[in-house]
Amino acid sequence: MPAFPILFPGTFPINLTCIGMMILTGIIVIVFLRLGLRRLDMRHPRGLQNLLEWIADFAANMARDTMPNEQAVRWILPLAFTMLIYLFVANWLGLIATIAIHLDHPIPWLGLTAERLRQAHGEVPLFDSPTANMSMTLGLAIMVWVISHARGLRHPKQYFKHFISPSPLAIIEEITNPLTHGMRLYGNIFAGEALMGIILGIPLVFGWIPIGLPLLLVWLFYSAFVSTIQAYVFTILMCLYIGNKSFDGHGAH
Amino acid sequence: MFETGTFIVSIVAFLIMFLIIRRYGFKPLADMLEQRRQYIERQISEAEEGRAQAEALLAEQRRLLEEARQEARNIVEAARARADEQAREILQAAQAEAQRLLEENRQMIAREREEALNAALREVADITVRLTAKLLQQNVTDAVHEKLLAEAEKKLGELVC
Repeated sequence: MPAFPILFPGTFPINLTCIGMMILTGIIVIVFLRLGLRRLDMRHPRGLQNLLEWIADFAANMARDTMPNEQAVRWILPLAFTMLIYLFVANWLGLIATIAIHLDHPIPWLGLTAERLRQAHGEVPLFDSPTANMSMTLGLAIMVWVISHARGLRHPKQYFKHFISPSPLAIIEEITNPLTHGMRLYGNIFAGEALMGIILGIPLVFGWIPIGLPLLLVWLFYSAFVSTIQAYVFTILMCLYIGNKSFDGHGAH
Repeated sequence: MFETGTFIVSIVAFLIMFLIIRRYGFKPLADMLEQRRQYIERQISEAEEGRAQAEALLAEQRRLLEEARQEARNIVEAARARADEQAREILQAAQAEAQRLLEENRQMIAREREEALNAALREVADITVRLTAKLLQQNVTDAVHEKLLAEAEKKLGELVC
């Protein structure tokens, strides 16, 4: 287990690497968007604008597949668009690089006690996927859960009916959905990074033949695929959960 | 392991970043897309409107052309009718004129004939009287002469008529 720098380790642990990477992801996303929006042209889109339009279109199609009516689609579209790009960038950040420093001296106020450092062999990650952190992905999942229920409560009658109307067992879903929603993302990204770390740790045969290299390449491709897919899966599940609780309009899903 | 602080702070951080991205990253794009959608919609409706207008204009043109044709036909028809009428009138007038001239000439001939006859009668009467006077030894007074002349004229008139 790597030793992350943690603020308030005893009472209210905040993973500084994770939050820092979240903010970095946000900055990358906004810079990317602003670059694409620099010269918006309604009639002659070109370059990055095409890509942005394609992403927006993709998000809109996702929302249309899961939302009951056009109004709900328009409501969810900014969130779906942001979530898609944000998670894509976040997932890929850990693939591009993970940076860790080797720390020998314990820093107790950051939670880097001597014992934890020893367990992690002094490795302190500073650059990592924010989505490789269970608390962060669960946070996003719970946020989606809260949004979906808040939206459902705008129509209380249908909202309370839908818990019991097909089967009361559906209530279990209300607990398992956010859990699996968050854990799926975390598990995929974390597994990708962990295995990559292990592959990188394979010793060189005879001191110079990198037998882990082909394995690393294969795993990199696979992780890139998984990262992209997971961004899509998380976003479409978000649309689905929120769409399930959008009772306005004709015939919810 | 689960970290409460990371959990809560990540939600807050994500929401803040979401708001920023929506305001500065998504809104211009969405506005542009909406603008484009409206532009295309307007173009389509304008094109449809233009086509409908063109069709209406075409129909109007056809109608006007048909009307003009009909009118031309009417005018030609009317002109022909009037020409016929005029021709008939002229013919009638000419006939009447000829009739009138014929009548006039006939009357003139009759009058001249009468006058000539009268003059001849008068001459004959005069000659007769003069002959008679000569026969009666030239002793006739003017009064008797006039009386004889009148008598001769009367007799001759009876003779002629």
